[in-house]
Amino acid sequence: MNLSRNNIRLLSVSLLVLLLFPLTGCWSSHEIEEQSFGVGVAYDKDKESMVEKEFDKQAEGYPKKNLITSTYQLITPQVASSTTDQGGPPQKSYVNVSETGDSAFQIVRELSLRSDAPLTSPHMKVMVIGEALARSYSLEQIVDQNLRDNDFRPSCLVLISKGRASDTLESKKAGEIPAFRLAGMIDNTYRTTRILPPMSLIKLESKIQSGSSFLLQNVLSANGEIKFAGAGIIKGKTKKMIGFLNEEELDGVTWITGKGKGGLVKSFDKRTGQLIVYEIESMKSRIEPHVKGNNISFDVHIESEGRLSENWVISGNPLKNQFLQRAQKNAEKEVKHLIRNVTKKMQKEYQVDVAGFGNQLRIKHPRVWMRVKDNWDQTFSEVSINYDVKLTIKDYGTSGSKK
Amino acid sequence: MKMKRWKSKMRKIGNHANENENKQESASQDSTNQFSDEFILNLEVVRKEIGHNSDVHFREFIIGHTGIQASIIFVEGLSDKDLIDKHIMTSLMADFSIEYQQEQPDVKESLSNQFIKNQVLSISDVEEVHSIKELASKVLTGSTALLIDGLSHAFILGTTKLKTRTIEEPVSEALVRGPRVGFTESLSDNTSLLRGNGETENLSLVKFQVGKRSKKDLVVAYINEIVDPELVQEVEKRIKKIDVDNVPESGYVEQLIEDNYLSPFPQVQNTERPDRVMAALMEGRVAILLDGTPFALIAPVTFSMMLQSPEDYYERWIPGTFIRFLRYIAVVLALFTPAVYIAFISFHPGMIPTKLAISIIGTKSGVPFPALIEALFMEIAIEILREAGLRLPKPIGPAMGIVGGLIIGEAAVQAGIVSPILVIVVALTAISSFSIPQYSVGITLRILRFAAMLCAAILGLYGVVLFFLFMMSHLVKLKSFGVPYMSPAVPYRLSEWKDLMVRMPLMMMKRRPKMMHTKDPLRKG
Amino acid sequence: MKGRGKMIISPKDTITTPQTAVIVINFTLGTGILTLPRTSVEKVHTPDVWLTVILGGLIAMMAGIIMVKLSLQFPEKTVYQYSQEIIGKWGGSLLSLLIVGYFLTTSGFQIRSLTEVTKYLLLEGTPTWAIIMPFMWVGLYLIVGGINPITRLFEIVLPITVVIFLMVTFMSFKIFEVDNLRPVLGEGIIPILKGVKTTSLAYTGPEIMLLLVAFMKEPSKAVKATLGGIFMALIFYMITVVMVLGALSVDGVVTRTWPTLDLIRSFELTGLIFERFDSLLLVVWMMQMFTIFTMAHYAAALGLAQLFKKSIHPFIYGVIPIIYLISMTPKNINDVFKLGNMVGTLALFLFGLLPLPLLIVAKWRGGKQ
Repeated sequence: MNLSRNNIRLLSVSLLVLLLFPLTGCWSSHEIEEQSFGVGVAYDKDKESMVEKEFDKQAEGYPKKNLITSTYQLITPQVASSTTDQGGPPQKSYVNVSETGDSAFQIVRELSLRSDAPLTSPHMKVMVIGEALARSYSLEQIVDQNLRDNDFRPSCLVLISKGRASDTLESKKAGEIPAFRLAGMIDNTYRTTRILPPMSLIKLESKIQSGSSFLLQNVLSANGEIKFAGAGIIKGKTKKMIGFLNEEELDGVTWITGKGKGGLVKSFDKRTGQLIVYEIESMKSRIEPHVKGNNISFDVHIESEGRLSENWVISGNPLKNQFLQRAQKNAEKEVKHLIRNVTKKMQKEYQVDVAGFGNQLRIKHPRVWMRVKDNWDQTFSEVSINYDVKLTIKDYGTSGSKK
Repeated sequence: MKMKRWKSKMRKIGNHANENENKQESASQDSTNQFSDEFILNLEVVRKEIGHNSDVHFREFIIGHTGIQASIIFVEGLSDKDLIDKHIMTSLMADFSIEYQQEQPDVKESLSNQFIKNQVLSISDVEEVHSIKELASKVLTGSTALLIDGLSHAFILGTTKLKTRTIEEPVSEALVRGPRVGFTESLSDNTSLLRGNGETENLSLVKFQVGKRSKKDLVVAYINEIVDPELVQEVEKRIKKIDVDNVPESGYVEQLIEDNYLSPFPQVQNTERPDRVMAALMEGRVAILLDGTPFALIAPVTFSMMLQSPEDYYERWIPGTFIRFLRYIAVVLALFTPAVYIAFISFHPGMIPTKLAISIIGTKSGVPFPALIEALFMEIAIEILREAGLRLPKPIGPAMGIVGGLIIGEAAVQAGIVSPILVIVVALTAISSFSIPQYSVGITLRILRFAAMLCAAILGLYGVVLFFLFMMSHLVKLKSFGVPYMSPAVPYRLSEWKDLMVRMPLMMMKRRPKMMHTKDPLRKG
Repeated sequence: MKGRGKMIISPKDTITTPQTAVIVINFTLGTGILTLPRTSVEKVHTPDVWLTVILGGLIAMMAGIIMVKLSLQFPEKTVYQYSQEIIGKWGGSLLSLLIVGYFLTTSGFQIRSLTEVTKYLLLEGTPTWAIIMPFMWVGLYLIVGGINPITRLFEIVLPITVVIFLMVTFMSFKIFEVDNLRPVLGEGIIPILKGVKTTSLAYTGPEIMLLLVAFMKEPSKAVKATLGGIFMALIFYMITVVMVLGALSVDGVVTRTWPTLDLIRSFELTGLIFERFDSLLLVVWMMQMFTIFTMAHYAAALGLAQLFKKSIHPFIYGVIPIIYLISMTPKNINDVFKLGNMVGTLALFLFGLLPLPLLIVAKWRGGKQ
């Protein structure tokens, strides 16, 4: 034993003394069932809820400007115990609480004035920002508190909503939690090209800091139902939302960035006007910047492999390569159309680069990028972009010839 | 101080009073302790000394046809009746008047020591004693005393026969595959088991006696050619230092020779299995066997040895490795699961998966206690149940365990005292701690689990980490007979790791553990 | 019993070569793991900052070799003992005091940053002293055992750290984007060189060799051990920087206080027991901080003991309040980082610049005799 008598004594004494202190209390200990877990939050331009108006009528609140309405979707202990109870009819599994004010953080703390189970956000899955708010305030300011807070995890996903964000956090289906539903839907990128790859808080931060423009997935809500429809455009300079891309245009962007994992291309046969659907199995896109003096141009090479999954052309015979090539050409044309459409919107209507052209320029020609990056959105609207699209239909499923 | 002075005063008075008495007595005592020439007198003295015991018997007889009086004194039950009747009585009452007459005509002289010893007594174990006290102690341990008229000493004939168990599988260390042989309470049985196991030429069995009042035999076993002589010296030194009245079980020996009595971890291994002992001896370790207990001690020991079972070696290496891994996982679970539960529930709900968190909130909202209290409650209940299960008679014991576990857990959840997640946690912990081969370490981990829970309750995950570091610091400082407790994990010696978390094929384990500083490093030949 | 007295080094207190390397690695990896991505990118501004990390490591290796060679000139003596032989009694004592001061400061700094992170992510309401005291107490318990238990604990902690760290970092592959790391050398070599000072500071740790060589069983292998240790640390830092930048990108990383932690918090692997792995990283990081703290504590106490030629025990206890005060000095987190920078600069001077002239003087003197 290496401890001499004295050592033992000294150590034991100091240990005893040390042990006395914790007896005064476990400071950070908050039992799990005494808190409410926020699983989703929606930020809207101010509109005080009924309850708040009631409270305001009864008593003076505190000095605040009504700028933001935060709606927190909570799993309160009562709600949790009711959902895990085996018996009884399924009840509502969440609670939405709204509060209006000017400081996002203060709003959170205000909630502790209204509930015995204060909000804690480590399980926040989704943040939805209402269109009106996004247009008026810089995104950087809106999400600042969330990025700073130790509760919020940087993996929380960010969405934009057309209309009021708090509506997206409602659901009529019993047992369904809207925030989880939203978070789950984002995983559907492998099914369609009309969803953006998930944008987490941390990625949002990177995008904001880089000063480039970008897209945020848009959510529509109606009657407790939601739909992912297109994307909101955030301008890099102001960090405010300036417009929307609809579903079709978002489709085009996905083709340009090549980040799609699945989906389809619907085209109409030139000859017969009938429907042919090409299902995407993989897609790849390469953006090549070319710099000649002050002239910047881009070449985009898009390749994809897939299958023929729906064919309304009765006369067409998928077993013949000829038909397949016809289908391919049709699909390619459609893709080109999508891309051209969205490029026009990007360059002419909004003057933003949200498809990552600037990024490629940065990688391939860093010195040129240094020159143009401050005004890139402007410059981008004047560059010329060429495309070529190559689709390959590998198979056509289990239904072959029509005759 | 006052007590001391008072005591010494009393002693002085007492001494003075006794002095006169003693003078008288000592004279007679001296004379009575030694044997006199008078047979009758000797017999009287012995009767006075031990005759009052109900199990001491005196059998007087005449030797052969010589007419000389003799008597044997033995303890019923302890001595081998068969031996006494067939060999002692028969040989002494036989007709050897012919040989006798060939000796000196003087009757008393002729029954010389040598004659009796060399030609009459057909027993292997013969000793001579010259004092009554010695005779008494030998007789009371099972030997037979032989008093002969004319001889001023007595013979002690070894007839001890203790009642022992038959050799059966050790209860505490049952294996699926392996010899079903366990030590018994008889030291001679146990040493014979060791010898019988093979390696006989170099196996040294050195005898000691421990305990001041009731002297027990203790044997230190080692293999001469393999063991580090310094180790043997150290072990023997510590054994010689044992200074107590009575050593009922090897546990006493263990506690009196271990390095650090303040540590919760055992530094000496105990086992009922001879095959384990032999394997240890082969590695260059030392074994200690104590009369009266089937539990042998093995020293030195390291932490990894506590998690090994002989079965690991009897099975092939793949299952052996797998089961070892499982055991290590079990140790971690047994120690940290409740602590981690408390840390996450009370401090860091953000660290658990969301769905799990929600279900925990749901089930825990009805529970009035914070996580620490409910965990302590369940853990203490399980510990009490476990102890109770050990004490109950065989038919009820296991059933009690199952009943207790299931029903009490269920009932507690229904009553809203604990949450169901906690029941799972506690069950997992209990099962894990059962899978540790060495019972002593299992107890240690059970105790440490509570300490971990407390640390978690005060400082959450940080507390658990600190606890882990503290425990590791302690383990790293601990030594067992000079061998660091955490060998062979640290210091790094890659060749040693073949037997640590994995069990490499036997073909690859050619060397004995370096930490034992053995004389013969290779296992083969 | 232990021979504690003038000769702190008793024959049983030796460490093997692999143990030395382990100590070096453990002593190097500390706060840097969490902050290096940010501090280096702040200076370099390009995604090829991992080259800077490599360069910093190479510089550290060179410094390490010089320090080892210096210590090899005086077998079985620590820097506190032989510094007096090189530059005289007063010079040597001053140098020893400075080194002791450095170790005290670095241990105070490390424990303070541990406290900051713990308070931020784990224990929000707990007062600072309640976090620091138990930590120091456990460290104390370990240190009184001497160099061997310390080393053994390091050996236990290291594999756990390596396994968990690699596992958790590579899980972040989910949010890894190669584009964030390109282009390489896009802006030329100059930005990379700008960051070398910062990354070299992250490699403070090998200076412990000035003490360790005296304890080694085979001092001839000291160079190998040092290089091995620094190399491992280099790999660690490389992986950290690459993965963090890959996920967060250059722009994102400069605004985050503890980028590595954010990396782990930025993804969730649903269904994989834990789902959230920042708890694992924190556990591992806390253990690493413990190793740095205890080693620095021990080094400081050893220094004072050898300087004043007394037993090490009173100094181990006596130094605790000093470390505590140092750790409480910074008033806010900016000050904490400033303290870190100060420690780094001190290290640069004491262990980057000084050893070479000392080595030259030692060789010259040795040659004369």
